[in-house]
Amino acid sequence: MMSNTIKTICAEQWRYWLRTKVATTVLILGSVLTLTALVVNAFHIEEAAHAREHLQHEAEERFLSQPDKHPHRMVHYGHYVFRTPTPLSVIEPGVDTYTGNAIFLEGHRQNSAMFAEQRQSAGLTRFSSLTPSFLALVLAPLFIILIGYGSVSREREAGTLTLLLTQGASRWQLVLGKLVALMLASSIFLLPLLLACLYVAFSNESALVVTLFCLGYALYFLLWAVVVTACSTLFEKSSASFTVLIVIWMSACILLPRMGSSVATSVEPSIGKLEADFKVEEKLRSLGDGHDVNDPAFVKLKQDLLDKYNVDSVDDLPVNFRGIVAQYSEQRQAVVINEFAESRMQEELAQARIARQFGWLSPTVALRSFSTLLAGTSIETHHRFLREAEILRMQFVQGLNKVHVEKLDYKLDMNRNSSEEAADKAVVEASNWAVLSEFNFQPEAPMARLSSAAVYCLQLLLWVGVALLLLKLAVRRLNP
Amino acid sequence: MMRFNDIKREAKFVFAHRQFKLTLLVVFLLSTVALWSGHAEMQAQQATIERLLEKDQVEREAVLNHQSSYGMVAYYAFHLTYAPPSPLTFAVVGERDVFPWKHRIRMLALEGQIYESDTDNPELAFLGRFDFAFVVSVLLPLFIILLLYDLKAKEREARRFDLLNVTARNSHAVWTSRTLVTLVPLALVTLVPFVAFAIVNGASVSSILLACVIVLGTISVWSAIVLAIGAAQRFAKYSATHLASLMLGVWLITTVIVPVTGHTVINAVVETPEGGDIVLTQREAVNGAWDKPVEETWEKFIETHPQWADYTAYDPKRDGSFNWKWYFAFQQVGDDSASELSNAYQQATIRKNQLAGYVSLLSPSLLTQRLLSNTASTNVQSMIDYENKVRAFHASLREFYYQQLFAAPEFSKSSLKRLPKFTTSSQFTSTPMNTQENTNEK
Repeated sequence: MMSNTIKTICAEQWRYWLRTKVATTVLILGSVLTLTALVVNAFHIEEAAHAREHLQHEAEERFLSQPDKHPHRMVHYGHYVFRTPTPLSVIEPGVDTYTGNAIFLEGHRQNSAMFAEQRQSAGLTRFSSLTPSFLALVLAPLFIILIGYGSVSREREAGTLTLLLTQGASRWQLVLGKLVALMLASSIFLLPLLLACLYVAFSNESALVVTLFCLGYALYFLLWAVVVTACSTLFEKSSASFTVLIVIWMSACILLPRMGSSVATSVEPSIGKLEADFKVEEKLRSLGDGHDVNDPAFVKLKQDLLDKYNVDSVDDLPVNFRGIVAQYSEQRQAVVINEFAESRMQEELAQARIARQFGWLSPTVALRSFSTLLAGTSIETHHRFLREAEILRMQFVQGLNKVHVEKLDYKLDMNRNSSEEAADKAVVEASNWAVLSEFNFQPEAPMARLSSAAVYCLQLLLWVGVALLLLKLAVRRLNP
Repeated sequence: MMRFNDIKREAKFVFAHRQFKLTLLVVFLLSTVALWSGHAEMQAQQATIERLLEKDQVEREAVLNHQSSYGMVAYYAFHLTYAPPSPLTFAVVGERDVFPWKHRIRMLALEGQIYESDTDNPELAFLGRFDFAFVVSVLLPLFIILLLYDLKAKEREARRFDLLNVTARNSHAVWTSRTLVTLVPLALVTLVPFVAFAIVNGASVSSILLACVIVLGTISVWSAIVLAIGAAQRFAKYSATHLASLMLGVWLITTVIVPVTGHTVINAVVETPEGGDIVLTQREAVNGAWDKPVEETWEKFIETHPQWADYTAYDPKRDGSFNWKWYFAFQQVGDDSASELSNAYQQATIRKNQLAGYVSLLSPSLLTQRLLSNTASTNVQSMIDYENKVRAFHASLREFYYQQLFAAPEFSKSSLKRLPKFTTSSQFTSTPMNTQENTNEK
């Protein structure tokens, strides 16, 4: 139970805030902003999810409704996959606007994601964005500072501190009263976020993930309330406590996250996709051109096949040799392509991890990592999208190649370019396009997300610990 | 009138504060670190372009060596295009981490290629870049607030205010000179590293001066805001920290709220086609062409390329079901069918950028950011110019290959020397055809 003294002090602080313009303005501004951000973002995400689902559906439908044709045409016709946003991206959109959300899948090539939304922002949202997570991570601490920087020091400046202490309130009671008051005030910014989480929990997200997500933000708010109260207790003058808190805020919320990303780029430079493409191509050239059955790279394949079926020429094979070559070279290409794609993803991940180490220096970075990982809007989830898209690509390309091998006669196939009639014969039925399976992208399983976010939760807890120690120190040094 | 003695006295006074010296040191470090990281990034981009250019050359040679027809050359040969960083990119990375600045393209339909982006790590882009423009537009105002918010109030609280006003020969002179001795060193610690880096990177004198003026402008605007709030009669009774809260409020509204509101409104106002629609349209047109009668493609192609009307002789029944000129014609038709959407997409980007320009008039930090990125040519317009340059280059590739494919001269590797080359200037005309040779072919 909260003691009566604490309650009185807390109530007194609230009365003071309601009288002053700064506190009430900040409270109103903060909650209006958070609500607006939530509503705007929720509509936006809803719209994006809808549009992408629609495009995904359309892409699939068009693929399946293609007429009879040569199966290799379909390999080049290709397919599009779209990444739909995760439920928690209503609060934490993460990298979503910076990555493309559509990929064109085709044979022999691995394309990158297209249409990053950020390109359409005309630089307006380079520093800030109207997302609930930005408000909670960067602005809420500033609001908490503006409301609370003077909560204890003001009493000292006005000389009321002595009065309070001589009237029997202990130092801890006094400081806790102030802290509870500030926590209540900050919960005004936190509340809309919690409500949004509740909504998300009911839609389609693991309750455990949502609960921990909320807990992360609640801890962060608590942390700032403790830091602000501690500084206010520690410094004799309100102005000193104000200056110090603003400097802390600047470094923790604005400076260090960006420093992290700049340091990451210089410590772990990564070569771009274009450059990797050159290396891929160099390697691929040695693998032979899958369009050309006479490429010397396939001599052994041919001989093995002739031996296996005990025939003398490819014309006598029961399968379509051209399809076999396509299948074989696609498989070998994929190994090379994926090796490079994987190393690129590992590079990006290594960079992200370096940037996230700044969580030991700034609680904002810690919560950011924690919340993007839990929400499934981190680079990991984007990579997962790329990997799943690749699986789908291989699955339909090789599916079509299998159709090519089994359902298209080799002679008809080789003859296909001689005339239009010959081309008309070298086709397979449209029913074979069913090799394309539906693409339904889901972020990592809740447990996987939780385990990757655990270390950032530790960072956050550490910060809370540091803040509480600071508070303890401040209370011990509190003298009227 | 300010006198030299006033300034000297105030300088002594201001520099006696450890907090002030510390702030200057921090700003100096931030500015230097930001510039250094931007510089490293710019060096990396330049090095990347050089490496790519080299590899592009080797790769194309290798590809060209294997081909036996213009169609195959056109299909297999990629060309590198790029937008080199300007000498001031180290200070303002600007839009270069969101818009692509390098592409490899080939003769196939361009709409399927141009939206591919080889941008940096999205997680780092999302955390934000720490460049000089960021330091100047976002952080510097905060430091100005921290340094000046209690200019007068500090003295009032120390009960020296009246004394100072009385003892000074001119009461304004005290505050003016105190402000100056605060701001001039601040401007110096910000700009000196910048100028040093700019000289190292070979930026032009005019662009350096322009950037300095922009930074000084930012410092003046923010000092004016801070001083105006501090001097306003209606806030006379407010405490120093109360005033600082007000100033922070102004910072918050102009730096955060105006941009995000602007962004939201602009997004709602300007209609942008879905990117996905462009590529789907293009793909349908290109891939559908295989199954349509050849004449349909020719008809559409001739509409935009009447000069080749007499060269479309190709009978699938006699000449086989595949022919390169028909193949590239339907690639062209694919692009044409998506061009309206694609234009609308680019126009939307331009329109949004324009509107953002108006919004930035309400936000000093946005304005600073934009002006600096204009000076460094890393703004949206520069990135769009690059995209259009890629389009123009692709068009010149088409012009070259159509000439070869339609006028059907014998394949000769030497003619490939006339392949258009991407340059950073705006013209990509291929070396004109030798007229003699041309008439011979006919």
